[in-house]
Amino acid sequence: MFVYGLINSAVLALMALGFNLTFGISGIANFAYGAIYVVAGFITWAFINHLNLPYAVSAILTIIIIGIFGALVYKFIIKRIRGLVISEVIATFGISIILLELLRFIGLIGFKYSLPVFIDGSVEILGVYVDIQRLFIIGLGILVIISLYVFTHHTKTGLAFRGIAQEEHTSLSLGINPDRIASLSMGMGSALGAFAAIVILPLGTITVDSGYDVLINALSVCIVGGLGSTFGVIIASFIIGYTQTITAMYLAPHWTMIVSLFAILVILVIKPSGLLGHQKELEERV
Amino acid sequence: MKKSVVSLFIFLSFFLFTFSASAQQYITLGIPTSLKLIEGHEGQKAAQLAIEEINAKGGVKVGNEKMLFKLEALDIRDGEPGVPVSEALLGIEKLILDKKIYAAVVGNFRSEALLAAMDIYSKYKVINIGTIAMTPKFQEKILSDKEKYKYSFRGALDSKYASGYVQSSMKFLNKEFGYNKVYIATQDVLWANAIGSLMEKWFKDNGWTVAAFDKYPVGATDFSAGLMKAKSAGVQVIMAIFDMPTSGILVKQWKSMKVPALLTGFISPLTGSKAWKTFGQDIEGVLESVWEIGYFPIKAYPPSVKFSAAYVKRWKEDIQSGHGAAPAYDTVYILANAIEKAGTLDSEKVVKAIEETDMAGVVGRIKFDNGHQLIFGDDPKQTACGGVFQWRKGKMLLVWPESIASDKIQKPAWMK
Repeated sequence: MFVYGLINSAVLALMALGFNLTFGISGIANFAYGAIYVVAGFITWAFINHLNLPYAVSAILTIIIIGIFGALVYKFIIKRIRGLVISEVIATFGISIILLELLRFIGLIGFKYSLPVFIDGSVEILGVYVDIQRLFIIGLGILVIISLYVFTHHTKTGLAFRGIAQEEHTSLSLGINPDRIASLSMGMGSALGAFAAIVILPLGTITVDSGYDVLINALSVCIVGGLGSTFGVIIASFIIGYTQTITAMYLAPHWTMIVSLFAILVILVIKPSGLLGHQKELEERV
Repeated sequence: MKKSVVSLFIFLSFFLFTFSASAQQYITLGIPTSLKLIEGHEGQKAAQLAIEEINAKGGVKVGNEKMLFKLEALDIRDGEPGVPVSEALLGIEKLILDKKIYAAVVGNFRSEALLAAMDIYSKYKVINIGTIAMTPKFQEKILSDKEKYKYSFRGALDSKYASGYVQSSMKFLNKEFGYNKVYIATQDVLWANAIGSLMEKWFKDNGWTVAAFDKYPVGATDFSAGLMKAKSAGVQVIMAIFDMPTSGILVKQWKSMKVPALLTGFISPLTGSKAWKTFGQDIEGVLESVWEIGYFPIKAYPPSVKFSAAYVKRWKEDIQSGHGAAPAYDTVYILANAIEKAGTLDSEKVVKAIEETDMAGVVGRIKFDNGHQLIFGDDPKQTACGGVFQWRKGKMLLVWPESIASDKIQKPAWMK
């Protein structure tokens, strides 16, 4: 249970990082995030199976395409309603429904829609067999977190990200273009969603409905951790991840999704800003 | 003058075209089901094949005239997660009112939707022979008001018969290999839960230990917690009942977690020939139930050989679903025979003729019981028939029932 709880936590963290990045920088709650995750899975699948591209090339191309798509969504849709929170949520959720229902309409349902694992096989850890793909999830999750830290602390664009996250108007006076940064954050957040999909989806199949599950999971992790707080996301992933595993193990598997929703309710009642949301410090927000 | 001649020509062409089109009388059959799911999709193709065969012979004799069959399919999506029953019902009503269907075949995917749809069929007096939804509550509802629900039939097996087939393989495993500890995993829907509950009781009554009985929501993609439970309890058998595409993940995880227990039951991604291509050696030794025979050739029952060959010839691929397709083919013939026997399209008389059906189908001999359920047994010459096959070296070897089995259950080499 310890091992699988850890893996489940890593899966949740990886799922939520992209959503959290976009919100932390630009304040946009990208409700199309789950749909983007699923679309990324199908694009990679199509590259591999229809264009016969190598897995690595398909994955890189997908991440780039999805990143550009996210930035374009900002440029052509979100930019016009920026700051109107409800409108942003409605617009992104609308995009989500369009994408997912379009995939459903095309008929992308079946076990054949699955991505290959990076390396086949499993290893024994603490008496439990774990497939190597799950170890990749943990490793790549850690790598993404470190990369994000380095990016936001040691690159010019990353510093601009933090500037916008801290105080948009002051950043503007220093020559940082908030629209450009917000567009980049949407693109990067979406690309991270695509990355998560490529790493996580080989464990199962690509299903249209998982778009909604991913959104709920990402949302619950971010709300519990504190929207915009990377460290909060990590802590919340562990709390929700282990609770889900314990629930599935000792109660019943069909209660696991309720854990995420229940966690949102509890945190909104007890501490609406999330576990680490109250600090809103510069480092915390990115 | 030239304009008038052209106008007259167009008018006459239109008139002749319309007249010739309306001169042909059709009996429209509706297929309201989840067309994107394999059982629905292949059910539609099997029904289409039967219609083409019947039409090629001139159609159905109704009294003194011959009429052709026509198909109207609608994706009501009731098998997909999150789709409300009300949406499925709207689709059925649309087929009845807009497309004027005479009868419906294949039908609802989810039992929850089927039970609600029976009232609609009853309201419009539309005959329906379903081949997918499996709840035993179907017969209960018919018997609760036979006159009202007489238009509904089921041409496939139900959960009670299905659990009987699973029991047969469990009896064998217990007798031959001494297995007596099981983990039950089902999809959280009426038909699968019914099989799970019936099997749980059967296991307990027959001296087995049930380590746990877990129900997974439709669309579930992680089975690791349940598999851990099974492994730590030391079960020898995992009995899984799933018809959702994501249930193939259970197989992946079962193998990667090296759970030393035999996988049995019904997992829809494992029922067709393509499963070996997808999973390869991972499914060696897996025991898979076939809800209705006929979808792959069984030498001992020639109609199945003929049907599967005709299907492959028509659609250039073999059937992958172990439920729904073969009976969908039969239901079109059941309807055709009943209409010819009744000599009319009057629903009341055709219902009566269907109740008296006694014919050889690809799923076995076709007869309905008092609750309008197709009768199943273990010899296709006597009743409709399901079975159990075992995956061995890429082949689907039928191991039960004995009347048509080509092999015996073998303990997989990797099991201790």
